[in-house]
Amino acid sequence: MTDDQSDAGGKDGADDQSAAGSEAAADAATTEVDDGDIPSWSESAASKIVTASAKERVFISVAAFLASVLVGSVLVYLSGLVVDCTSAGFLGSCYNPFLVYYFLFVDPFIGGFNVALVMKETVLLLFTGLSVAVAFRAGLFNIGSQGQLVLGGLATALALIFVAPLAPGGVLGTLVLVPFALLVGAVFGGLYAAIPGALKAYAEANEVITTIMLNFVATNLAFFLISTYYQDPESGSVQTVAIPEAARLKPIVPFFEGAQFSVLALLLGVGLVAGTFYVLANTAFGYDVRTSGLQAAAADYAGVDPKRLVVSSMTLSGALAGVGGAVYVMMVMARYRTGVPALGFDGITVSILAGNNPLGVIPAALLFGVMKAGSLSIDFSLGVPKQLVGVLRGLVILFVAMPEFFRLLARYTPYGPDADRAVATDGGDDDA
Amino acid sequence: MRDRNVYVAGAAGAAVAVLALFVFAFVFPVDWVVALVDQLDTSLLSAALRLSVPIAFAALGGIFAEKSGVINIGLEGLLIASAFTSIAVAWALQGSVAPTTAAWAGFGAAVLASTLLAALFAVVTIRYEADQIIAGLAVWLVALGFAPFASQIIWDSVNSPAVPTLNNWVAPGLVDIPVLGPAVFDSNPTVYLMLLAVPVSWYVLNRTAFGRWVRASGENPKALDTAGVNVRRVRYASVLLSGVFSGIGGAGLALGQVGQFIGSGQTMVAGRGWIGITAYLMGNYNPIGAFASSFLFAGLNALQFRVQQISELNIAPSLVQMVPFVAVIVVLALVGKTRIPDAAGDHYESGDD
Repeated sequence: MTDDQSDAGGKDGADDQSAAGSEAAADAATTEVDDGDIPSWSESAASKIVTASAKERVFISVAAFLASVLVGSVLVYLSGLVVDCTSAGFLGSCYNPFLVYYFLFVDPFIGGFNVALVMKETVLLLFTGLSVAVAFRAGLFNIGSQGQLVLGGLATALALIFVAPLAPGGVLGTLVLVPFALLVGAVFGGLYAAIPGALKAYAEANEVITTIMLNFVATNLAFFLISTYYQDPESGSVQTVAIPEAARLKPIVPFFEGAQFSVLALLLGVGLVAGTFYVLANTAFGYDVRTSGLQAAAADYAGVDPKRLVVSSMTLSGALAGVGGAVYVMMVMARYRTGVPALGFDGITVSILAGNNPLGVIPAALLFGVMKAGSLSIDFSLGVPKQLVGVLRGLVILFVAMPEFFRLLARYTPYGPDADRAVATDGGDDDA
Repeated sequence: MRDRNVYVAGAAGAAVAVLALFVFAFVFPVDWVVALVDQLDTSLLSAALRLSVPIAFAALGGIFAEKSGVINIGLEGLLIASAFTSIAVAWALQGSVAPTTAAWAGFGAAVLASTLLAALFAVVTIRYEADQIIAGLAVWLVALGFAPFASQIIWDSVNSPAVPTLNNWVAPGLVDIPVLGPAVFDSNPTVYLMLLAVPVSWYVLNRTAFGRWVRASGENPKALDTAGVNVRRVRYASVLLSGVFSGIGGAGLALGQVGQFIGSGQTMVAGRGWIGITAYLMGNYNPIGAFASSFLFAGLNALQFRVQQISELNIAPSLVQMVPFVAVIVVLALVGKTRIPDAAGDHYESGDD
């Protein structure tokens, strides 16, 4: 137990403990939690993924992604048999899976406009991915990043519209308004996430369900507030009026001219990733978060107030999603309009693909950003529905969820995580 | 016991509230209260029963899975898969066979699709020891992604056209019973199935050998193993059962109520699977309690639809639509501490394979 505890405190990349050790830790956590102070439905779940070793995590993410792409290809091919088209060119199918993946992964990098599109999606996913990852590290499932982003974004838009007459214009305006807007987004996103956090901590309400319900509430609330009080009279869709010009995040680099992408937002996203990584790895709060995620009983024993930690880590998670909402408003829409894309759900996949490591969120968000940009290309160029990304989003999580599948697979290849660990070939990581 | 008390208190509270509303409406005939009381009629009861179908079936399925030790958080995904399949099959067959046949074929296909997806979930969690919560989320997100994708392929839109639906069955004689007759005995076939499945589930779970195995598999798998029963097999059967139930629920929603597939946003299922989980937690894993909770949520939803049409009230629809979701959160906060089966969420290794 002591070993596991010290492992939990070790640096992120350094805890290359054996799979056997980590599984044991996860199991110990499960049994401890059952009679601990914060009984949870999800404790064992989060800890299992959190405790996989760094190398294993990368292997599982890559393998899960490739497996999803493979299953996706089969799905695309089969869909091509059903759909009507003039020439069924690929083995009787209207869709050529190779071409689909070319447009999904390569085409987004061709041309300034496409790259800007990729960057726009990536930036937005950085925030929600990071939001889900932080909660995950604390052993919490925040499925409500979507709702937190919606309310954070709405609050940002309304606050900006409210202060617009008072704010200076030009660069000075930007310097004042943008930090103000980010703060508003963070506060409202954070407060909204504090609700399921408090319900979990003090009423033991399962956070998966409460956050999903709060997503529905947020969507309806935003619709109600805008349509009743803040409707843009000029527009037919349910939206607010535009935010002040000075608060808009525009592409600074000429290469991205005209795109809904801002280098400033990218820097902010990367900065938040670095900040979150630092907080989790080097501060007392981060230590408490990680220990709680790995082994709630140990954290409790070490004097962490588990209830307060649940609330504070959910609040931090929601604040990150809220900042994402603020960026969405300032960079993409320049106003709040109902029908926000499912960035929160994409964030779940990004976080899981990243092994819930803040640094991993960057490549995972980029990968997913490429796919989201590519999904527009496949729809436009090949007629393959862009909803394909939604399917891949689920498949990735499904495959990441079953590391045992890849461990079995890895036994038959020389490259698996067990390759250099001769003793582990009998699957010695089981709890029997 | 505490949960049952909360539950009884909740039901009593609801009854008192309704009664108080009636008295209030009688003593002070305020316009909107009278209008609200006017809504509490037989057809509301009937609508609440119809709306209970997907929630109650998801809840029944969830009970079996979780009692056996596998937390099936993917019920929402199973409902989405079955709702979509039922409409797709009914649509594909509608020209070539009688409308009723097409609808029933859709119903059968929906149960099959949901069961297959549940089987995938079972293999992933039991065979490949996947984390149950994450795998459940995956089942939900896969269905949430796949259904609109497939709709786009088939109908070139995330929504389907209207398809033949399951028509109401009228029970001759019984339908003439006052109040209860028109509310219950002129209902969709899936409503009858629900009213049958609830007591049968209770009986199976509490009075049969299989039910005993299911409970033992979730509470003390080692003991069950020692007694010579294959824990894995019991868990597979329970998860598959949750697929069958959710399949009926999803088909009931699609073919018994809506008549088309709607794939935008959270799809037409719109959180009913999650509400089903809350319903069985509130009912403390008792099928009868879970049904009562489902009925409560469905009743709120039915009332919500009505309230939107009361001009005296003049409340924005988007505000009223929040009510069932807020109710779920309140209920979860009240009954948060349910005693889940001891071994739920854990993988069980028998050691002899």
